[in-house]
Amino acid sequence: MEIEVTGAKILLELPFGITITETQVNMWIVMLGIALVCIWLTRGLKVRPTSKRQIIAEYLVKTAENFVTSNMGKKWKWFAPYIAALFSLAMFCSLSSLLGMYPPTSDLNTTAGWAIMTFVMITFYKIKTNGPLGYAKSLTEPIFIMTPMNILGEFATPLSMAFRMFGNVASGTVVSALVYAALSVANNALFGWLPGILGEMGQKLPILQLGVPAILSLYFDVFSGVLQAFIFCMLTMLYIASAAEPSD
Amino acid sequence: MVTMAGTLDFLSVNVWHILMAIGNLLILVLILKKFLFKPVQKILKQREEEIGKAYSDADKALSEAEAEKELYLKKLDDAKSEADSMIKTASERAKAESAEIISGAKAEAERRRRNADEDIELAKKKAADEMRDSISEMVISLAEQVVEKEIDPKAHASLIDGAIESLGEE
Repeated sequence: MEIEVTGAKILLELPFGITITETQVNMWIVMLGIALVCIWLTRGLKVRPTSKRQIIAEYLVKTAENFVTSNMGKKWKWFAPYIAALFSLAMFCSLSSLLGMYPPTSDLNTTAGWAIMTFVMITFYKIKTNGPLGYAKSLTEPIFIMTPMNILGEFATPLSMAFRMFGNVASGTVVSALVYAALSVANNALFGWLPGILGEMGQKLPILQLGVPAILSLYFDVFSGVLQAFIFCMLTMLYIASAAEPSD
Repeated sequence: MVTMAGTLDFLSVNVWHILMAIGNLLILVLILKKFLFKPVQKILKQREEEIGKAYSDADKALSEAEAEKELYLKKLDDAKSEADSMIKTASERAKAESAEIISGAKAEAERRRRNADEDIELAKKKAADEMRDSISEMVISLAEQVVEKEIDPKAHASLIDGAIESLGEE
């Protein structure tokens, strides 16, 4: 039996080598879902709230703002929408695998894109705080020989972030696929012993595949997805906040 | 032109997909800003303003109430002192009036007593005069009988009166 683990299905090929894959489509579905939920939550807001929807909406906004300001400081309150978008997109992209969709976060390109955003912002704030010269100088510290290592270190941050999230989500998919395949083999073997039509039916019905993958998906999809989204946001905030601090 | 061109490799790097991931993230930031953060923040700001207004209104009402309380206390004090002074003046006036009435009554009584005294004096005098007259008549008639001779009252009046005078003085 062969088990094949592949990336996203290519759904559409456009000129200039642009392709639209499951990653993009599923991400758009997730974004549409988030947008609709937001529109629904903030419909008919009142100064004196009467609906549970409004309380949830206010709770979400306040939680996002608290999350950002407690990690980055009060002056970063404006940054809350970015972190909220990053967190919700990462989390719901990972959770989309619960619906049998291909999770966009198990595509390296997705996590790499987000990590590059973080990297651009880190570098932007480092240059903004210390000046271009100060930033260049900080790369040569403590001694000039260390410059290549320091440059490598700069790129290590987004690289590790991208691979961390990708690895966690994709490995979940891989492990799930492996377990599923193993269970199907076990199913065949177990019900192959049964005589006649009973055995044939048992082999066709995925009886052993019923319970175990669900528990695994609880860890890999729900727990790991939420945790990785959280970690990605935390790292983004901490790196950017420390980049905006004067280095000495 | 939809072609199922197979799948990507498990580990693949595609610049367009990276750019699309970034673009999707930024679009979601705008979506969240427009549909969640802006409206909620607006409502929270309005609520803050409303609460601030309620607080300042309450403070204002409180200070107004305090001022009115002060005013009423002052008015109450004024009324009390006014009532006190009214009672005082009334009682003073009453005292004065009663004193006046008493003194008037005393004076009246005094006057009446004096009148009565005068009347008594007058009556006494009159009685004395009458008595003197009758006595002098009596004396004259007695003396006439004694001397059997008519006495001219006019001729002897001074003599008789002197006699009566001396009688009355005793």
